Amino acid sequence: MPRSTARSRQALSAAVLSVGGGGLAVATWISGSHGLAVGVLGAYLVGGVIAFFWAGGNGDVAAVLRANGDERQRTLDRDATALSAIAMSVAAIAGSIVAVARSGAPGDFGVICVVGGVSYTAALITLRLRR
Amino acid sequence: VKNRVRELRLAEGLSQAVLAEDLGVSRQTVNSIEAGRYLPSLPLAFAIARHFATAIEDIFTPESDRDTTKEER
Repeated sequence: MPRSTARSRQALSAAVLSVGGGGLAVATWISGSHGLAVGVLGAYLVGGVIAFFWAGGNGDVAAVLRANGDERQRTLDRDATALSAIAMSVAAIAGSIVAVARSGAPGDFGVICVVGGVSYTAALITLRLRR
Repeated sequence: VKNRVRELRLAEGLSQAVLAEDLGVSRQTVNSIEAGRYLPSLPLAFAIARHFATAIEDIFTPESDRDTTKEER
């Protein structure tokens, strides 16, 4: 990979963290928690700087952060994403059950369950057509 | 699946880093393949075989084949 491409991908992971943190900080500021908003922004900026330097390394995590890597590193990223999705699904389903028991409706957890179910079905259909 | 990547690499006097660069993968991936923790894709297995100028089956051997060979002995 050309050096400039590697550099831009390295900066991308830091930018994603900074922009995400910025959005969260703005939302926190709007809610009225100004001190917390500044803290959130600072924490995400520090995270962005760490990600920038980490992504410049030669290790597996660095390759995944840069979203390039070889076939094994892409497999690591895919498997980690799948495990994370399973953990989030379990949390969403458990949250829905608790929410239904408390208020009779699944609430936000239900929305997450629907998004997960629909996206999984769409992905399965698409992948089956391609393979 | 067992493999002879480490043996062949050492016979050529190459480091993992040099072999990795030649194959277009990371050093960690070469290390994982040698340790038997990662099974390479067919294209990478072909690339490894091409690098050592030998056939894939001379480098990668299914465990069942090894057992059969032992029994034959």
